[in-house]
Amino acid sequence: MEDDTSRSLRRRRFLATGAAATVGALAGCNGLPGGGGDGGDGGDGTVSLSSFRGSGPLIENRASLSGTRIADLPDLSGELTIYLGGGEGGLYRDLLATFSQIYPDFTARPREGGTAQLANTIIEEGENTPADVFWAVDAGSLGAVDEADMAADLSSDVVESVPEEFHPTDRWVGTAGRARSVPYNTNALSADDIPDTVMDFPETEALTEAMGWAPTYGAFQAFVTAMRLIEGESATREWLQAMLDSGVTEYPDEFLTSNAVADGEIGAGFANHYYALRVRSARSDAPLDLAFTSGDAGALINIAGAAVVQGTEQSDLAENFVRHLLTVEAQEFFATRTFAYPMIPGVPPVGGLPTIDELNPPSIDLQELANVEPTLQLMRDVGVL
Amino acid sequence: MSREDTGVRRAVDWLRDAAVSPTREGSNPLVAGVAVLVAVTVISPLLWLFLRAAAVGPREALSILVTPSTVDVFVNSVALVASVTGLSVALGVPLAVLTVLSDLPFRRFWTVALSLPLVVPSYLGAFAFVSAFGPRGELAELLSPLGVTVPTVYGFEGATLVLGLFVYPYVFLTTRASLLSFDTEQLEAAQTLNHGFRSAFRRVVLPQIAPGMTAGALLVAFYALSDFGTPAIMHFDTFTRVIYVQYNNFGRGTASLLSIQLLAVTALVLFLESRLGDAGGDGYGGGVVGTDSPVASLGWAKVPALAFCALVAALTLVVPVAIFGMWLLRTGPGYASAGIGFQWDFAINSVYVSVLAAAGTVLAALPIAYVSARSDSRLARLLERSTYVGYAVPGIVLALALVFLGANYLPWLYQTLPLLVFAYVVRFLPQAVGSTRSSVMQVDAKLLGAARTLGETPRGAFRRVTLPLIAPGLVAGAALVFLTTMKELPATLILHPTGFTTLVTYIWRVQEAGYYGRAALPALVLVAVSALSMILLLRQEGDDG
Repeated sequence: MEDDTSRSLRRRRFLATGAAATVGALAGCNGLPGGGGDGGDGGDGTVSLSSFRGSGPLIENRASLSGTRIADLPDLSGELTIYLGGGEGGLYRDLLATFSQIYPDFTARPREGGTAQLANTIIEEGENTPADVFWAVDAGSLGAVDEADMAADLSSDVVESVPEEFHPTDRWVGTAGRARSVPYNTNALSADDIPDTVMDFPETEALTEAMGWAPTYGAFQAFVTAMRLIEGESATREWLQAMLDSGVTEYPDEFLTSNAVADGEIGAGFANHYYALRVRSARSDAPLDLAFTSGDAGALINIAGAAVVQGTEQSDLAENFVRHLLTVEAQEFFATRTFAYPMIPGVPPVGGLPTIDELNPPSIDLQELANVEPTLQLMRDVGVL
Repeated sequence: MSREDTGVRRAVDWLRDAAVSPTREGSNPLVAGVAVLVAVTVISPLLWLFLRAAAVGPREALSILVTPSTVDVFVNSVALVASVTGLSVALGVPLAVLTVLSDLPFRRFWTVALSLPLVVPSYLGAFAFVSAFGPRGELAELLSPLGVTVPTVYGFEGATLVLGLFVYPYVFLTTRASLLSFDTEQLEAAQTLNHGFRSAFRRVVLPQIAPGMTAGALLVAFYALSDFGTPAIMHFDTFTRVIYVQYNNFGRGTASLLSIQLLAVTALVLFLESRLGDAGGDGYGGGVVGTDSPVASLGWAKVPALAFCALVAALTLVVPVAIFGMWLLRTGPGYASAGIGFQWDFAINSVYVSVLAAAGTVLAALPIAYVSARSDSRLARLLERSTYVGYAVPGIVLALALVFLGANYLPWLYQTLPLLVFAYVVRFLPQAVGSTRSSVMQVDAKLLGAARTLGETPRGAFRRVTLPLIAPGLVAGAALVFLTTMKELPATLILHPTGFTTLVTYIWRVQEAGYYGRAALPALVLVAVSALSMILLLRQEGDDG
């Protein structure tokens, strides 16, 4: 029944009103046939899905879920130092706390910082790094650590449940996705005002003096890197210049960009998809919707992912931990609490988002997003940075 | 060969200069040696910058340094430093004069209120200003029904305004310190000799307070040069913003290159200041601390003077506290999370590490302040100036330098409190050196001579005469370091022991996740704790009034 609703969505647009998109879903179908343990935290090692699931208007009527469950995995036991990059760190801490509740012998020592900053830290630390696991919110940071030979090989059973584009090497694996999107103010613009391709934005009259972006924000730079890889340097340079000429407004980050769209300060912006969901979750009456472009840099899906750090003395525990991040329970946590795209096909995203296979991301190697230097050079040349 | 000889000889000369200073008792070779050791230790992590920069090829390096945007960033940074320093002097000096020399009503209250902006981290101040005065900000919403439009706060003007408003207390406090130690009888004498207040001020007071003003202005200038948060929030490109972006994108070579360029600007400012300083006479007189009693009557100017004080206090205190309070009361995003829950431990950790940093910094500052106050030698000047280097380098650059050194060469220190405290010492040494140095200068060498004549050993004379006299300077330095450590973000984020959360790392965590409302409580706690230490600082100063 959920499938009906998603089919009725236009491919590149959706309404962030979760209720409308999930009308057809049956209450109570979140039980897993044969999975067991939905009833509660039994002392018999079964784990309640509800302790991983978020709540609120966007998270009603979840579909049935499938995939590896925590009960299928060996216990976590021991102490892990986890370098936890980026803004989701605070929320990821809750997942770590839940793991510690399930496994009293497991202690996670999270260390937070900016994702790239922690990647830089691991690279500077070299073989003396105290980190066992690097859990980052962007593929470029994982790629940088990988290229510095600081990521260990993961067993194939760890990575095989995740589509290949979300683990281009076997030294890190995606744990949750974020899609590039165009949040727009429904009072100022209609869905038809947003072009299908991001390259058309500067020439679109409705968007003149109406767009916002956050060029110092990592996700935006990853997007420009993707554009550079797909369209080439000079087209990207022209696009940036044209956007500047069309009077784009700059924000420090994409949450503020999305908020400014909801406030009507700008008509539309470039931002990761979950920021709009967050704004909606806090202000359900916000005149805010999302549009997606198709097959180009504007439709990039970047990922949060994890790597076992090279040289750790805890490699078995670290790998088992990464396995746990790809269980149904953890994936449901990412979907319903951080509004991210789950990485395993058996867990759908929330809020009436098109499923990951309904989006049309460009085909590029995410690891190449680590090569931001030429992007920054380009952005500096044009005067965007 | 001979060239090396002269180099060595010059260094020996410097050392001898320092040892045999005009006031002999002050600097013995041991103190000078310790001072040199401290200075070398605090500068050493920055060598890493040059190693990193060397990894960038010379051609690429040149192309980075001469691209138009790099030049823009250079111009922007210098302009911002100049404008912020100018604004701080324009605010700090008149306010200091008003609160020390005039009969402004409620002077005690204004002294506290006008010092307090220093406890508000400028990035939080910037956030509050954007929330209040930005397009669609709270004030705009409030005034729009009345048909009033608020001018935008972004850009150069906004960055200048916010930075100036939240760092002018450096100038205010250092100028006050010089005014308080200034013998007001001189001013009265000048006035009786038919000089009006204005002329007496220019001819008698200004030369005396110039060193204090300059010290404050230098702190402001380097703060503006190294602050990342405010320019970023106000959408204004400076070195720190570009360096930050580079570091966040694995452009470590480029970032270190730009940091070295930033150091060159630092050196330039220090050089200019030393030229200025040399012209400014011989600094503090040996006077005894003067009185705090007003010598100038404001007359009709009382009302505008009060309004000026009230405006500054309202912009710097009422606006941020009101905005944080509003965030606190407003319902946050739709879901709660234990991972972003506030714990009082964070405040305790902040206070604990800030106390350690204050103590460590004052200890490190003492020998340098002593040598530089007691000697006019090049070595003494070089020592004092060298402490500004760590202050002007952006925190993130220093922190990653210490990651490299710590993890690779001092693994037993890495991610421990001592290394974090060391980072703070490097960052904030000049604040303690400045205030300690001015109090050492006020110790009358004759007193020490008397103590020696009465049979005290040098150490005994130091303990019984010098130490009590310089205690206020030490406490002032410690309080300043405490305040700035409470606020420091990048070094804390990168070097903290795992699991050691402080107020600012928590604020970073919730803000990065987009939960601005959650930043309100820790921000208010941060401001309140720092305000308490500020009151301690002012009480120390106020004892003689």
